[in-house]
Amino acid sequence: MRRCKPLLGTFVEITIQQEDAETSMNYAFSEIEKVQSLMSFHHPQSDLSKINRQAHLRPININIWTAQILNIAKDIHVHSGGLFNCGVGHRLITAGLLPNHLNINEHQFGGIEDLYFIDQETVSSIRPLCLDLGGIAKGFAVDMAVNTLIAGGVNSGAVNAGGDLRVFGNIPQIIYLRSPQAPSQLFEIGTLSNGAIATSGLYFSIRDKQKSHIVHPFKKTELDIDEHFLESYSILAKECVYADALTKVLALSRQQNHPCFAHYSAQAIRISR
Amino acid sequence: MISTPMIAQAKIYASVEQAQKLLLPNKQLHQTPILIDKELQEKMRVASSIRHPFQGNRIWKANDGSWFVVDEVVGKHEMITYAVGLNPAGSITGIEILEYVESYGYEVAEAQWRNQFVGKNIDDPIKLNQDIQNIGGATLSCKHIADGVKRVAVLHELVLKHMKSK
Repeated sequence: MRRCKPLLGTFVEITIQQEDAETSMNYAFSEIEKVQSLMSFHHPQSDLSKINRQAHLRPININIWTAQILNIAKDIHVHSGGLFNCGVGHRLITAGLLPNHLNINEHQFGGIEDLYFIDQETVSSIRPLCLDLGGIAKGFAVDMAVNTLIAGGVNSGAVNAGGDLRVFGNIPQIIYLRSPQAPSQLFEIGTLSNGAIATSGLYFSIRDKQKSHIVHPFKKTELDIDEHFLESYSILAKECVYADALTKVLALSRQQNHPCFAHYSAQAIRISR
Repeated sequence: MISTPMIAQAKIYASVEQAQKLLLPNKQLHQTPILIDKELQEKMRVASSIRHPFQGNRIWKANDGSWFVVDEVVGKHEMITYAVGLNPAGSITGIEILEYVESYGYEVAEAQWRNQFVGKNIDDPIKLNQDIQNIGGATLSCKHIADGVKRVAVLHELVLKHMKSK
């Protein structure tokens, strides 16, 4: 069975070997919808929007999944030496890539390092935040969908959220990457079983004349804030949440041997043509 | 390690019948074509900013007042056919992608791509180079689908909800 739905701002495709697992498939899609509703920047009632509006004013109670993803985001922030930081929402608003419903000019925003846990499901922040989980939530959603499929007795398959892809089960699957210079062309890079791969590239942004969605957290001036590159950066990891987040570390550091990758048992792939 | 390039990508996910079962399970559906006059077409365009005309012959109604509508978005770089399920109140209950084609305007004329689908159904998957799965790397954004769904919602508001049950 193979199905595809528009979710998380992209197309989510689930492929499983079994033909009779419709219920598991439905459940997997609903888990992705749950991630979408918890972590949407656009939706005013999402956990993320509550944090962005009020975490600097009062403690915010959040879903356990939101807590999980924020913990992972904080952990990767530390191990990447600050290169991975979800606190860049206001820069994406400035670039016209996210809607402005926070009056960004009124605040000096902090980063993910300012967010702290009061207990397992309650957070607060030292400074106002404009977090965007676009660089990690797709990978997380893929993992949640895969967990559901496995729990439902599905032996093997793949979940692909706009190129953030995880293969589960023992059947190796061929993986293709796009050529960053001509994204309609695909290259076979080998097979994957029980693992995840995610890719960051700007080829569609460049083609569609959009601003770069890769933002450097250390740079502060408007001119050099967004990153421009013609290469594509892929990360292989056991779980898709790490593959997804670490592509940003690779795209910003351009170091295939950044120590952070070994820490998460991940491998970096850089494609230049 | 790197092999010769192939061209992305055309996929069929579900037939109209399969999507009907997924979005409106256990419901008896009747095809209910609707004439889309110029004025309605224009209202749907304004609401969605999609210029490609809506075809009124792919609309189904269930006995309880639910609706099933098939539409497509034809962008510069893609053509995507999708189905929308609406409950009797007009809320979207689900969206299912039926076909997804990434086309590259100047490389392959659109008509040629379309012709490949004539007479095809779910039993004979499209083979371009092959039916390619597992593509890492950004997919097109689904913004156009969101716009398309807006025009289906407008169609419900202006026309479908005023139609009397049989």
